[in-house]
Amino acid sequence: MARILYIEDIQDNITLVERIVTSRGHELISANNAEKGLEMAFDLHPDLILLDLGLPDADGQTLSVWLRNDPTFESVPIIVLTAWPEEVARHTVEAYNLDGYLCKPFTLAQLVQIIDTALNKKL
Amino acid sequence: MMTIELIPAEKFTLQELTDLYNQTRVDYLVPMPMNANRLGDYIHDFDIDLARSCVARTADGEVLGLCMLGVRQDQAWITRLGVLPAARRRGVGLALMDCMLENAKSVGAVATQLEVIKDNLPAYNLFLGKRFTETGEYLVMRRAPHPSSGPLHGNVDWLDADQALEIQRSYPNHLTWINAPESMRNARDVEGLRLKLPDGSAGWLVYRNTKYTLRSTLSHLIIHTEQGDPNEVGTQLLLNIHTHYPHHDTYAENIHIEDAHLPAFQTLGYFENFLRIEMIRSSNI
Repeated sequence: MARILYIEDIQDNITLVERIVTSRGHELISANNAEKGLEMAFDLHPDLILLDLGLPDADGQTLSVWLRNDPTFESVPIIVLTAWPEEVARHTVEAYNLDGYLCKPFTLAQLVQIIDTALNKKL
Repeated sequence: MMTIELIPAEKFTLQELTDLYNQTRVDYLVPMPMNANRLGDYIHDFDIDLARSCVARTADGEVLGLCMLGVRQDQAWITRLGVLPAARRRGVGLALMDCMLENAKSVGAVATQLEVIKDNLPAYNLFLGKRFTETGEYLVMRRAPHPSSGPLHGNVDWLDADQALEIQRSYPNHLTWINAPESMRNARDVEGLRLKLPDGSAGWLVYRNTKYTLRSTLSHLIIHTEQGDPNEVGTQLLLNIHTHYPHHDTYAENIHIEDAHLPAFQTLGYFENFLRIEMIRSSNI
């Protein structure tokens, strides 16, 4: 079982992802802003971080800098889940040294696959 | 037919305005939610007049949308226009726009400007219908912090806020509202640098350096070549700033799509987040 942190400000999206993640036997913890997400990442040591780019206090790109620059999260996969255009998501993943992206709307199968791939890579 | 009431935004708390704004943007092309602190800074930095900004609601008090008006001397700026998804196509956006234009006129604005994200056709068409015309397209770009490569040349003078604001006054081209001298003056975190290269080329860069809890961000970059090749001068200016601030995330907002420094931005690893279209309308129409 893996612990997955989802940083996302829209509760409906968290609920949906939680259903999928828990049905696969993982634990989902969530934060609705960047500051809380950062705090939870440090306190709860997730195995994988799912990150929305549009957050109310600092956007996901800035948050990913905070996370990636800390040795604690060097090897923790970070996957972007976003409604932003695919081109932006792709550039963000490359430039900010992240591990993958899914643009909304995405299918459940796509989400399961990207989570499994990221967790397997980590293991 | 739904009755739409327009209430001055000053009647609402910052948190209420923030929540409403975020709800109107849940399905936006590029979702960019805010918190109350950020909205407060936005109101301060961009001279938003909450008494002349509006919240739309039904006669029963159900909120529908909002729109804000920035006012500077004889200029006005419409921003943060948003309608809740369930309330769209019922004339709410139109009523908010009419209210903003009326308020702009009432404060003596000779022109009103706004920006719309490219491909946001409903909003774009609404503005066209209100006789706004395009003035230009602007890039919003990001750059992740990473070590800059390339040799540094020339002499650099780092500028404090007063010096940076002074040099910005010499900028010869149009700046959108958020990068205008008034916006930079309102912000408390402006800096700059001035560069002179051995061959006589020269230029300057003014920007905001905003300190967050853990990291700082560079934003609102205004770059100008006084003499020489903008690509060379721009590359050196950007190399200097990113060498000086290697751990800063950078957000370059509203760079004109024909700005001669764009190749320099690309060389330094900037990439496009999205495009904005600036539009303007004379109050005489």
